[in-house]
Amino acid sequence: MSQAVTSAVIRPAPTATRTRARIAARTGILAVSAMVLAYCLLPFVWMFIVSIAEGHSQFVRELEYFPSRPTWQNYIDVFSVMPFARYFFNSMFVAVATVLLTLSVSVTAAYAFARFQFPGRKIMILAMLLVYMLPSIVLLVPLLVIFKTLGMINTYQSLILAETTHAVPFAVWLLTGAFAALPRELEEAALVDGCTPFQALLRIVLPLSLPGIIAAGLFVFIASWNNFLFAFMFTSGEDVRTLPVVTRFFVQGEADFHWGIIMACAVLTTLPVAMLFLFFQRYLIGGLTAGSVKG
Amino acid sequence: MIADRAPAARPGASVSMTAAPVRRARRRRIPMLPYLLVAPAVILMIVIALYPTIYAVQLSLYDVNLARYNRARFVGLDNYWKLLFDDQVFRVSVLQTLRWVGVVIVGQLGLALPVALFLNMKFTFRGFIRTAILIPWVIPAAVTSLIWVFMFDANLGVANDILVRLGIIEIYWTWLSDFKTAFFLVVMAAVWSGFPFMSIVLLAALQGIPEEMYEAAKIDGAGVWARFLHITLPMLVPTILLILLLRTIWLSHSVDLVYIMTVGGPGYSNYTTAVYSFLLTTSQFEIGYASAVAVVLAVVLLAVSTIYVRQMERSQEYLR
Repeated sequence: MSQAVTSAVIRPAPTATRTRARIAARTGILAVSAMVLAYCLLPFVWMFIVSIAEGHSQFVRELEYFPSRPTWQNYIDVFSVMPFARYFFNSMFVAVATVLLTLSVSVTAAYAFARFQFPGRKIMILAMLLVYMLPSIVLLVPLLVIFKTLGMINTYQSLILAETTHAVPFAVWLLTGAFAALPRELEEAALVDGCTPFQALLRIVLPLSLPGIIAAGLFVFIASWNNFLFAFMFTSGEDVRTLPVVTRFFVQGEADFHWGIIMACAVLTTLPVAMLFLFFQRYLIGGLTAGSVKG
Repeated sequence: MIADRAPAARPGASVSMTAAPVRRARRRRIPMLPYLLVAPAVILMIVIALYPTIYAVQLSLYDVNLARYNRARFVGLDNYWKLLFDDQVFRVSVLQTLRWVGVVIVGQLGLALPVALFLNMKFTFRGFIRTAILIPWVIPAAVTSLIWVFMFDANLGVANDILVRLGIIEIYWTWLSDFKTAFFLVVMAAVWSGFPFMSIVLLAALQGIPEEMYEAAKIDGAGVWARFLHITLPMLVPTILLILLLRTIWLSHSVDLVYIMTVGGPGYSNYTTAVYSFLLTTSQFEIGYASAVAVVLAVVLLAVSTIYVRQMERSQEYLR
């Protein structure tokens, strides 16, 4: 009886006010969401709008917020006014090769770090972390001289090797965490059943830690695709030039194209990483908040 | 699936007495295995990171120009004396680095914390927003530079157009050629591309705060503000410190945004130490002196990195 009384007392205010409050809260959330999204995404929308604007309109007329005659022509022209396909291939090749090289050396190292106790283990892990923190600018000059002496300037190899300076420590770090999180009993069972440690790695650990491996691979791909410093330094010729270096020429106005072409080029440079990210965002967000090493 | 199997292997609790000796025996039989496993990565890092670092230190002791590399001259610590006591540009670059790091971090955190708190509320399209805001973070810095330079272009930039229409400025402004606005343009680009990731890390930390703490505080009569001040903020402090540490390191040695957008200019106004070293290399080919600048930067950052590494050592179980 008394319970009924108290519940009546603390019953919330009449429903009309409640709905009004709820509507207000929803509007507030919508408004904030819209602001955040606008801030983050409108620059992309603008990039896209300019990329479908007609030919020289960006030079001659006033700004057009909504192109009067939208066209895909810029996306076709991009391939004829510059060796865009070549640049795109270069970026893709370097990024994929960096991922493959990085993963092939990092998986085994991370497994050893996560599963074995051996003299020097901790030093090596911490050294990896320090290498990861090492400014690229320190490596830039020595690598330039080394690559020059070895005749490796303007080769894919120089780019790929330079990328691994950050990719390998990062992947080792992320994967060590992923392997360490797997219950040890699984492999022990496999070892008892007669697997060699290598087989245990191949058949038990790798399949189970696939999300971590995918995350590491994607991060390395994105970092390599985006890398400017090494690409700028080690590619003076067109043959191996990657997209960020080309984009930089546009920023400095060193290429004589109209903005429609430039923005079409920027959209095509952005698309692969943006798409990868959107498709695999589950793995990526999980991976990065767990490791939280990426700046 | 993992969770299902782990308990199944648990009967090993009784086997654990034997499991330890087995492991030790295995280690004694093949002590080389872990070294073989780490060898490729470690050798690669020695060749491509450790050796070049030592080489950079060596180069910094020489007066050497890339254009006349064969005429390198050993000068000992001269490069260091010069840059520490006799180089106005280096001094400017140190101040600029501090300004750059400070302003960008404040901007990023100032935006990331409210957004993280907002995303911590439960509403329908939260997941979508969480993903969408990260797009600026994954795109190449070169594209970020391009977008922002174009938006603030003197003639065709939307910024000028909008600001003039709103009556905030009267004539089109040349943002990149002005000492003050060039810096803030780069800062804006850096905040835009850097705050999303910070938000997501903070969000993860927020979601780790146990709900019971808030409920207990509510029962004790704590209001929204009091709960934020006495629960949320203290619980976030370790994460925030870690982020600040990493960001400081990252921004101090980042070259791409500043270089691509401003090439250090106008004048020396955007010369951060990293950009200074980069420009010494690319436009003057003074690789000896450039290395000295880079080494000084690296040594300072090494001190900061050590704090981070210590922190990791304590927080990661497998490092203990």
